[in-house]
Amino acid sequence: MKKYRVTINGKTYEVEVEEIGGEERPVPTAAPVPAPKGEAAAEPKAEVPKAEPAPAPTKAPKKDAPAGKLTINAPMPGTIISIKAKAGSSVKKGDVIMILEAMKMENEILAPQDGTILSIEVSEGASVNTGDILAVME
Amino acid sequence: METMEQKLELLRQKRKEIQLGGGESRIKKQHESGKLTARERLEKLLDEGSFVEIDAFVEHRCIDFDMADTKAPGEGVVTGYGTINGRLVFVFAQDFTVIGGSLGEMHAAKICKIMDMAMKMGAPLIGLNDSGGARIQEGVDALKGYGEIFFRNTLASGVIPQISVILGPCAGGAVYSPALTDFIFMVDGISKMFITGPQVIKAVTGEEVTPEELGGGLTHNTKSGVAHFLASSEEECLESIKKLLSYIPSNNLEDPPYIEPKDEAYKIIDELNDLVPTDPNKPYDMKELIKKVVDEGDFFEVQPHFAQNMITGFARLNGKSVGILANQPKVLAGCLDINASDKAARFVRFCDAFNIPLITFTDTPGYLPGVAQEHGGIIRHGAKLLYAYSEATVPKITVIVRKAYGGAYIAMCSRHLGADQVFAFPTAEIAVMGPEGAANIIFRKEIEQSADPINTRKEKIEEYRNKFATPYQAAKRGYVDDVIEPSTTRIKLISALEMLTSKREKRPAKKHGNMPV
Repeated sequence: MKKYRVTINGKTYEVEVEEIGGEERPVPTAAPVPAPKGEAAAEPKAEVPKAEPAPAPTKAPKKDAPAGKLTINAPMPGTIISIKAKAGSSVKKGDVIMILEAMKMENEILAPQDGTILSIEVSEGASVNTGDILAVME
Repeated sequence: METMEQKLELLRQKRKEIQLGGGESRIKKQHESGKLTARERLEKLLDEGSFVEIDAFVEHRCIDFDMADTKAPGEGVVTGYGTINGRLVFVFAQDFTVIGGSLGEMHAAKICKIMDMAMKMGAPLIGLNDSGGARIQEGVDALKGYGEIFFRNTLASGVIPQISVILGPCAGGAVYSPALTDFIFMVDGISKMFITGPQVIKAVTGEEVTPEELGGGLTHNTKSGVAHFLASSEEECLESIKKLLSYIPSNNLEDPPYIEPKDEAYKIIDELNDLVPTDPNKPYDMKELIKKVVDEGDFFEVQPHFAQNMITGFARLNGKSVGILANQPKVLAGCLDINASDKAARFVRFCDAFNIPLITFTDTPGYLPGVAQEHGGIIRHGAKLLYAYSEATVPKITVIVRKAYGGAYIAMCSRHLGADQVFAFPTAEIAVMGPEGAANIIFRKEIEQSADPINTRKEKIEEYRNKFATPYQAAKRGYVDDVIEPSTTRIKLISALEMLTSKREKRPAKKHGNMPV
């Protein structure tokens, strides 16, 4: 139960993170909009675009890749437990970008090629589905 | 009356024409498109000077349309036999310079003759495909040609190894001969395979796709799983065929070639004790483990780019060829899914057909959950793996490295599917499900009623982990023959293989089973 609450916090927290532009530890702030019962997942979706100028929805839109960019998608459903790379940083093929916990395994999400991370589309604690965009690089 | 000299001259002249295929300009074009000619390919594939051509003088007998005046030296395919590392193989190489390597009645007849010979002699068949498809002018005779090849491919399956090499286009019905063979090799940028090409797809469904995207080497090695090997050049491709042949026998009655090992058989490998993280949530590279165990660290992977959560490939243990299957915890947590089951089942059946012992390394949390998997038919695809392992009568040895849960434990060549020897590392967790899930079900009431449910849950998980997530419950029942120190893996495997050399196991007589294909 508690775990789920943390996850909800994580989603609320995403709003804060995007504003700071960094990747700090979750700050236990009050949820900006109390989630309507049972609809927690939908809430950040509505929240983020308001709080943020850049169109980077927290809950990744399914599978549509921005043209010309390389998207890194979730290979299976799970929870992002840590993010290792920052937007703007350059990575080598095989570098760990983030860790996705799924099927009781800390799965390393690796850079598929050398390049620069344009954006990280999820934050720590976020739960993702197969095919969700985790990061965009070029 | 012609003199002998004149007769010889005529013969030489005819042979020269045939050897030139479609002629200088077409050969030049073939080279310009980055491809070798059929004869150059055979020269590189076979031992020097070993190629013997058969049916060079065969000609088509089609008189419809423009065919009456069309010369097709060699009928667009070079056939014969030769040796690779001294071992007999039968080969055919389609010649794209001769009317696009198109397949007509006599072209197919040449291939069929070689196939029949390969079967009689019990030698591998290697087909180099580079053809525009059916020779349309020949109509139903061309279709007959394909059909007769498919029929022979099927009869030869499990009798001689059949290898298909795609070195150009291979479209329409032509793809099914390779698909019926054991292994498909492709070269990046050169090979294309599809049933219906980009134009037809565009006309019918409106989808736009390039030939490379639709059926290039990368596509079939990563997405469709149609191909088994991808090379960056024709030379590299031909070399890997030779490597593959070194692991497999010439037919189903022979044993695979033995190669004097350079590595010591009975050596302790200390690093193996630290390779697998004891934290079951931490991934590692299973291929490292495999490479440390096998002779000279040489692991020849089959389908290395497809369904990477399942590793399949050949290696040697003390000089003897083995087929290795393993879960890859680094990819999709090592889950079994549709593609992994498919890939593994096919590999198991190849090894069983050709007397290659199977070594299985297990570390899988189970089947991949998801609607896509269920609707995609994981039930019937997963069943293939159970079927293939159960059916196999070659020596089967299993090493349970870490997780072996539920149905996936059974599927990965457990004792219950007929494994001859099952070893487990001390890190093995053999149980019906992971401790978290199991504790939640078994101790649901205790956890709900506890004053401190979070801690109670933790305690119960730990209790379950200590009691059941170990190799010892399975060892108590004899499902695991021995719990071994990882450092002794090589020794245990080689010793078990030696013991199993004389294994004979019978299956009930039947026409054939009904594998859930």
